[in-house]
This record gives sequence, structure tokens and C-alpha cells, in this order.
Amino acid sequence: MRVFFATDIHGSEICWRKFLNAAAFYKADVVVLGGDVTGKMMVPITSFPGYWQVTVRGQQYRLETQQELEEIQRQIRNSGSYPAIVTPDELRYLSGTDGAVDRRFTVEMTQSLDRWLDMADGKLKGGQIPCVLNGGNDDIWEIDDIIEASPCVSFGEGKMLDLGGFHIVSMGWTNPTPWNTFREAPEDQLAAKIEAVVGEIPDMGRAIFNFHAPPYGTGLDEAPALDETLRPTHGGAVMKAVGSTAVRDAILAHQPMLSVHGHIHESRGIKRMGRTLAMNPGSVYGDGVLQGAVLELDAKKGKVSKYLFVNG
Amino acid sequence: MAAGTFGGEAPTLFLRNATGLVRGWSVRDSMIYACLATNFVTLAIYEFAFAAPAFPKGQLITAVVISGIWVSFLVVAYAGLIVTIPRAGGDYVWQTRILGSGLGFVMAATGWWFILWLWAPIYGNILAVQFFEPLWATLKFTWPGSGATAGAAWFGTHTGIFVVSLITIVLAGLLVSIGMAGYAKFQRWCFYGGLTGFAVIVVLLLVNNHATFVSSFNLETHKLFGLTNAYGATHAAAAKAGLHAQPIGFGPLGPTMLLVPIMMFFILWPNWGATLYGEIRGANDFRRVLSGMFGGLWITVILTVVFLLLIDKTIGWTFYQNSNALSFNETPVLPIWPYPVLFAAWLVHNTAFQVILILVMSLWFFGWVGTLFLSSTRVIFAAAFDRVLPDRAAEVSEKRKVPFYSLILMLLPAVGLSAVYAYNSTFVKYTYDATLVIAVTFLFSAIAVVLLPFIKKDLWRSSPASKIRILGVQVVPVAGWVTIALLGFNMYEWLSNDLYYVNLHSSLVFMAALYVLAIVVYVVARVVRRRQGIDLGLINKEIPVE
Repeated sequence: MRVFFATDIHGSEICWRKFLNAAAFYKADVVVLGGDVTGKMMVPITSFPGYWQVTVRGQQYRLETQQELEEIQRQIRNSGSYPAIVTPDELRYLSGTDGAVDRRFTVEMTQSLDRWLDMADGKLKGGQIPCVLNGGNDDIWEIDDIIEASPCVSFGEGKMLDLGGFHIVSMGWTNPTPWNTFREAPEDQLAAKIEAVVGEIPDMGRAIFNFHAPPYGTGLDEAPALDETLRPTHGGAVMKAVGSTAVRDAILAHQPMLSVHGHIHESRGIKRMGRTLAMNPGSVYGDGVLQGAVLELDAKKGKVSKYLFVNG
Repeated sequence: MAAGTFGGEAPTLFLRNATGLVRGWSVRDSMIYACLATNFVTLAIYEFAFAAPAFPKGQLITAVVISGIWVSFLVVAYAGLIVTIPRAGGDYVWQTRILGSGLGFVMAATGWWFILWLWAPIYGNILAVQFFEPLWATLKFTWPGSGATAGAAWFGTHTGIFVVSLITIVLAGLLVSIGMAGYAKFQRWCFYGGLTGFAVIVVLLLVNNHATFVSSFNLETHKLFGLTNAYGATHAAAAKAGLHAQPIGFGPLGPTMLLVPIMMFFILWPNWGATLYGEIRGANDFRRVLSGMFGGLWITVILTVVFLLLIDKTIGWTFYQNSNALSFNETPVLPIWPYPVLFAAWLVHNTAFQVILILVMSLWFFGWVGTLFLSSTRVIFAAAFDRVLPDRAAEVSEKRKVPFYSLILMLLPAVGLSAVYAYNSTFVKYTYDATLVIAVTFLFSAIAVVLLPFIKKDLWRSSPASKIRILGVQVVPVAGWVTIALLGFNMYEWLSNDLYYVNLHSSLVFMAALYVLAIVVYVVARVVRRRQGIDLGLINKEIPVE
């Protein structure tokens, strides 16, 4: 069975579209998106009578036609941001009212995900191509129900799903980060969450761990060391292991066939941990490139027979 | 969810609290990195010793300034690449994305990995002449060696160079093994320490005049080496050898331009930190990225010009050029390399002071040598993850996190080349091969800059680099063209002019072998992986969007 795994597309619509086409492109039987589906930035497009005004990456644009508006919205979505059309009054309200930006973010994120899942229906042949989608630590809680309700994708969080004889278990939670995001928990709680779902797996030789947090100290979890102001120290030359010890211990204890991770975008890599092949394909969603891994799973031998990192 | 806004009263961007939203690489940090990379002590002073004898009519100061202006365009081109594709991996990532996997691998392997094998003995030689020789001479050590090659002079022997190269390789390998955290802190202290040492030298050369220097030089060389009137002997030896050093000046332009390819040995590297820019928000800030590299480059240019002017004022330009030429021609008056830092230190007749100044100025070397194999490790890991190299190449030992196999791939060839460098008198002249091979890699990145707006239209349109215009013309692609012209000029001169020693038959064979090796590795990988059912051609194939 051939699996395509990608992760951390952070609201990039071009990456989502590529993900939906990945099954056909790589001739994959199953596609898995490992978490952090939603974006981090929202770009206000202020509407005035007869035109719109927006600043994208420091450059101010005056948009006078619907076509120009749609083009800039497309560019913003492709870069992983949400275009939010607002009146000048709404813009003042957003910038001056506590919680207003968060509420608007939630609206944009959920509407965007709805739209994405509508796109998925056609591309994934109404669910004939199995697709596992999961949240990551940066994803708001509201996305869970939206994914769960989709007929063409399976929401993976905290479940064991059967993929043609292989079993995949997913967890979007991570160990604590300096940003205090949504799905973070101390290591002992992560360990408990993992054990709760891993216990259902009948055969570790055909098991896939889909845990957003990479295992600690494996090279799949190296991020630039930050100072107290969240600035990379020493020009980004110093890297630091920031993965989860609970995830590492679970892999070493249970030895699944495959363990796929994300979370740390810069830490693309492979690590053999006993009989487990652990990997993090990394992410460069901001470039509109979908980094991923094409994996050939051998059901008879219960192992990953081939793998290749791709920049699609 | 905590959110942030950008844009003041009328916000232009809202950010929510999410992983990875970090502040950018500070301009100061990148400036320090760029300044250490274009290391005016370790590299510039070292290669000035080659420049004078090769092109005696050329003017160093003019060449340094012209090179600084020209390389500024390379800085603009690289800043454009960094903000458009801000990926750790630099040239490898850009070239594989824009120009293709095979070319990207060959350029990265040769420019960031194989040629570093040659930089190891070059650094070893620099360590010998800027650290061991002056230190041993000042402390009057008489070991190792015997007779005429005892003590300091031993470091100029074949075995001396080889041993110091091994020390350099072990040092750089150890630093890769223990990680960069401690070294990065040390690096910053080295920079500030090195600047302090430089300030001391500036004061010494400012407050003393030429007559004081001549008497100090003669006194110290008599005390250390038993020479009589070494200053006069240097001029006499130069005259006897037919050397005619030009007084300091700014022209003529023709011979001075021939010094530009030599200047590349130190001034071409302000972009060295480009491989380290990961996904950081500051990398999207063109001005910030540009300022760091540009600042580092021009600090180096200014330090170099100030240093050369002070040499002229106090040490004497003709004497400096003659000392370099005699050393290069292997007919020196001094038994050790003519290190201007040591000349300045001799203005104070105190051994402790001289030793301290040598040690402090050696911080310029020790603050940079740890990065010798850093880029190689990254290329080897990237190639292993791309399945071009065996998986093992990227393995790291469980307990100590040592990249054992990649270290072997770096260290063993470096040891071999060091032996050849030390014991083969021709090979030692291939110094500029080390610059040329990296310049070729940069050339392809410059080509990538020029092609970027045509090959990755959407990516370019959304890049802040595409918005930088002067008189309506996009600056970054123009900078790419100027960089191509710079590197093209240098390559033409390196390959056509015998005085750089690059176009020696054996030198060309050596460089060609590096490229052939990279091509063979890539082709073999493609064939082997295809047999395994893995198509490496898929790696950078873009998935259709619609």
C-alpha cells in the first residue's frame, strides 16, 4: 500500500489543493495530513466605496475591480493567510476591541476549512481514496467537529483507524511550547493520551503512529534555540531539541512499523528507532510547496519497504 | 487565542498566537556572522601575502573597495533569495527548486562539501603562520624540529603544515560533534575580542612613527632570530630579487582589477549565513536580511582599508609588500611568515604583551574555524534525506549525538588532501581553487535569482524581494546579473591568467575530479534507487494545483 503523508500546511490553500491531488500524482492509496491545518495570519482588506485597499508583505494595493480583489485573495490564501474583507469601522473595531480579532480568526478559519472540505469531496472521489486529517497544536477546537462531519475525510484524533490492514493512531497534542497554543499538555499527560489509543492496536508490525509532536532528541525535533524574547540565538546557528519525550518513549516501547510527525517545520528528517521508521517531512507551506513523504508499506513483512521525501 | 496586530492605527496584518512565530535573526548577529566569514585577519591578511608578488602594480585598497562594491550586488541577490525561499540549506534548496535536483546536488556537493576538504589544509596553514609561528618565535621555543627548522620555523615545514592541518581538522570535527550551542557563544566573544585586538593595533600604529617601527623591528628580529638590520636586509633582498614594490595609491585600474579575483578569497563570503536562515519571520524582511550581510561586508572592507593605511603610515608600504613577496618567493629574510600583527606587537618591547596580542588576534581564526564542516554536515544530511546518499550518512549516534558517518565523509578526505597539500609543493598553490569552486556554486544561485521571476512566477510575485524597485526596475534580478558578471569575470581571470595558479593542468584535473565525483554520486544514486523502485526524479516535481 502506498501512503502520502504531509503536515503543517497552516492555511496554505495551494498546499491543500496539492494535497488533494497528491493521491493521483504519487499514485497513493491513502493520504494523511498530520495536523496544523489552520493559518496563523489574517490580512484585512478594507472596503471603500468603489475600491478595496490591502497591504500585502509591506506593499499597499488599491484594488478597483472584482478580478483584482479575487487575485489578491488567492495570493493571500496561497501564502497561508486569511483575507478578511472589512469596512473601515470593522477594522477599527477589530484593532480596538479585546477578543475581536480572535473571534474573526475563528470565523475565517472555520469558513475556510468548510470550503476546503467541499473541494475534497470531488478530488477524493467522495471518500473512495481514504484521507486521514488531524488537528495540530496550533489548530482551534472548532475544526474538530467540522472535520468529523465531513463525509470524505476521517478525523484521526484519539482514534485507531483501519487503513487496508494497517492501523493508524493520531494525536495532535504536543508538549508545551513558548507560544502556549491549543493542544499542549505536559509529558505525563501526553503519555496517558498515547497509551489510551495505542492500547487498541492489535499488531504493532502494521501500526502507524501519527503524532504531531516529533520524538525528543531524534533530529526530527530540532528548532532554532530562542532567547526570552523569542529571537533565535546566535543567528539561528544553534539548534535545540524540542520534541516530546512521551512520544519518544512510546515509539521505543511499542515499536510501530512507522511513526510520522510534523510540528517542527525546519526539522525534515528520518530516524530509525529500533524497528520503527520515524520521520518528519517538514513544511515550507509559505512557499506554496507541499513537502511530504511517499511511503510504500509492505503488509506481508510489516515494514516500510520504500520511502521518499518529496517537494510537490 | 492571543492575537497581535501590525500596522499601527490601521492594521495591515493580524497574527494569532501560534508555534514558530519568532522574531527574526537580529541584524547584529547576522552582521557578526558575515564579518567573521569575510574574515579580514584570518583570510585577508593571509592572502595579501600572495597578492603583492603576483600583481605588484595593482593597488590593494582600490581592489578591496571595488570588490566590496561588486560583492554588495551578490548580497542583494542573496537577500532576494533568502526572503523569497527562506529555507535552511540555502544554495542547495534554491538551486534544486529553481534549476533542478541534479544540478542542485552537484553544486551543493562541490561548493559546500567537497571543496571544504581543501579549505582544511588552507586553514591549517593559516593557523601555522598566524598562531603557532609567531607564538613559538615570541616565546623562543626550540621544539619541535632541529637545526634551521627548529621551533617556529618547523611549522613551515611539510610535516609542520600537515600536523597543524590535522589539528585544524580535529578541532573543526570536534566542534561539529559537540554542537554549535557553546561554540556560538564563544564565536561572539571571539568577534568582540578580535575587534579589541584590532583597536590595540590601530592605536599602536597611530601613535608610533615609521622610524620607531624600523628600530623596533630591527631590535626584536635581532633578539628573536639573531638578525642584524633585518629591515634594511629585507629591502636589499627585494632589490637583489628584482622586486619593485609600488608605493601605496589607487591606480592604475588595469593591474588593480587583476587583484579582484584574489580579494574573493575573503570578501566573497558575506552570504555564508544564508544556509542558516530557516523559517523565521525576520527572513521575510528584506531590509533586515540585507543589512546584516551588507553591514558585515562593509565592516570588513573598512577594517581592511584602515589596516592597510596604517601599515603604510607606520610599517611602510614598500617594506610590507617586499616582505610578502620575499616570503612568497621562498627567499625571506625572516625565518617565519611576515605577520603584520606581530610587526605591530614588536612596537611594545614586552614578551607578555606580544603573546597576548597574538592570542587575542587569533580569536579571528578560532571564532571561525568551527564552522569549517558545519555546512558540509547540512549538505550531507540533506542529500541523505533526499535518498541521494545512503541513509546512514545522516545517522547520529544515540548517546553523544555525533554524526559519525558524515564526519567520516568530511574528515577522511580532508586528511588525505592535507597530506597532499603539505607534501606536494605544487598542490599548495591551488589556494584559489578553494574560492573558485564555491564561486561556481554562487554563480548558479545568481542564475537562479535571474530565472526565479520566470520559473516560479507566483512565488516571486508574492515575495517582498519583487517589490524592491529603483526607477521601476526590479533590483534583485539586476543584482543577480551583476553578480553573474562579477563571478564570470573572476572565473575568466582565474582560468586564463597563470598567476593565480588555478589553470595549472593538475589544478584543473583536481577541480574537474570534484565535479565528476558529484555527478557520479548523483547518477549512481538515481540508478540504484530506480532499481529499488524509488524515482529520485519525483523529489522536486510539482504537484498540479487544479
